[in-house]
Amino acid sequence: MPDETTLEGWTPEIGGGLTLEEVVERAFDYRGNVTVVRTDGAEVEGYLFNRCGDVAAPFVELFDGNGDGPLTIRYAEIRTIRFTGRDTAAGNSYAAWLRAREAAKKTSGAPPAAGA
Amino acid sequence: MSVPLSQMWAVAAYVLRQRLRGRRRYPLVLMLEPLFRCNLACAGCGKIQYPPQILRKHLSVEQCLRAVEECGAPMVSIPGGEPLMYPEIGPLVRELVARKKYVYLCTNAILLGEKLAAGLFEPSKYLSFSVHMDGLRAEHDEAVCREGVFEEAVAGIREALARGFRVTTNTTLFEGTNPLRMREFFDAMMDLGVEGMMISPGYSYSKAPDQEHFLRRQRAHELFSRMLSHPKRRWKFNQSTLFLQFLMGKHDFECTPWGNPTYNMFGWQRPCYLLQEGYASSFAELMATTRWEQYGQRSGNDKCRDCMVHCGYEPTAVHHTFASWRGLRGTVVATLTGRL
Repeated sequence: MPDETTLEGWTPEIGGGLTLEEVVERAFDYRGNVTVVRTDGAEVEGYLFNRCGDVAAPFVELFDGNGDGPLTIRYAEIRTIRFTGRDTAAGNSYAAWLRAREAAKKTSGAPPAAGA
Repeated sequence: MSVPLSQMWAVAAYVLRQRLRGRRRYPLVLMLEPLFRCNLACAGCGKIQYPPQILRKHLSVEQCLRAVEECGAPMVSIPGGEPLMYPEIGPLVRELVARKKYVYLCTNAILLGEKLAAGLFEPSKYLSFSVHMDGLRAEHDEAVCREGVFEEAVAGIREALARGFRVTTNTTLFEGTNPLRMREFFDAMMDLGVEGMMISPGYSYSKAPDQEHFLRRQRAHELFSRMLSHPKRRWKFNQSTLFLQFLMGKHDFECTPWGNPTYNMFGWQRPCYLLQEGYASSFAELMATTRWEQYGQRSGNDKCRDCMVHCGYEPTAVHHTFASWRGLRGTVVATLTGRL
């Protein structure tokens, strides 16, 4: 189930069998904000919505925490990516909604709000 | 079928033009997502799970129109998110209608009455409200995870019809659907007076909360066969009869992933409306650099194995209609006789 597996809070260390490309791929699939740590130590937090790994200078694209962008960062400038934001696809399963609905009916007769 | 003749003619002429130009791959419907924000959180939807700053963003009208021009498809579907929450929806629709694009505004209709009363839209043969209805009251409210939405949608439909707008419904079906209840639903929508209905099996979005109720291919064929066998003459479907026959298992079509390209704030989505495998910065780049051979059932791609969704197969059905006399004859016969 999606809400039982989330990368939220993951702070990967590149190396030892884990490549930057793998971390980028996970970040691209992640439905929350991430923090891109540059090789110079600077950090950018935002939503990573695209990556292009099969070009001469691979890059990622993201909108920052204010929604500004897109910002483009080359793989060569990235030390790692931390999964710092809430995973919006997790903890929100259909089964959870059904459970909440039944519980709400039993207590007050009112259905839960959407997305509960 | 309930598609107006003028629309049918416009689409047919467009398809024939593409064929005469020798274009193997061409778009039929642009899926234009101006925003991801929605006032519902349906269990089967994988479109709205984003951080707040993304949900607050939306495309400008200029960005939307640029995408429409770039793509060139004769029809524009505006899903989302909930497009009636898009602050520029009135101006956007006006511009599209002025460009003679056939617009399907896909809405849950919760805000429809309010927006119509505000005079945001004018009736036009180019504009249809495509109202999300996943069945009768119990089934629909269950699907959208909120009680009372069915009644709100019905009220919105009535209001739009009373004001002279074209209204269709779009229905996504999941495992556990009762075909007899769906036949009752078709009756109910026709009683309401909608122009036509669109139906499709759901797609198992990896980010959708409900992963357990998506239809597998064989089950989908069985369900649609039971639901659509001996269709009543009064049922009108706003989609290709060949696509409906495909859902029933009568055709072995392959997906046309470029048929309904998708544009949103991230760019042109690869490869289709359902899969999110990256973005291209232009429509030309999308068409030229996507590895199309990696998609569709015959590609062996697991993500495509059970997909029978209209955005991939309706373009195939339309192409099939014009690719051979047999296809054209099949469509004409089904349209005239009402048999599927």
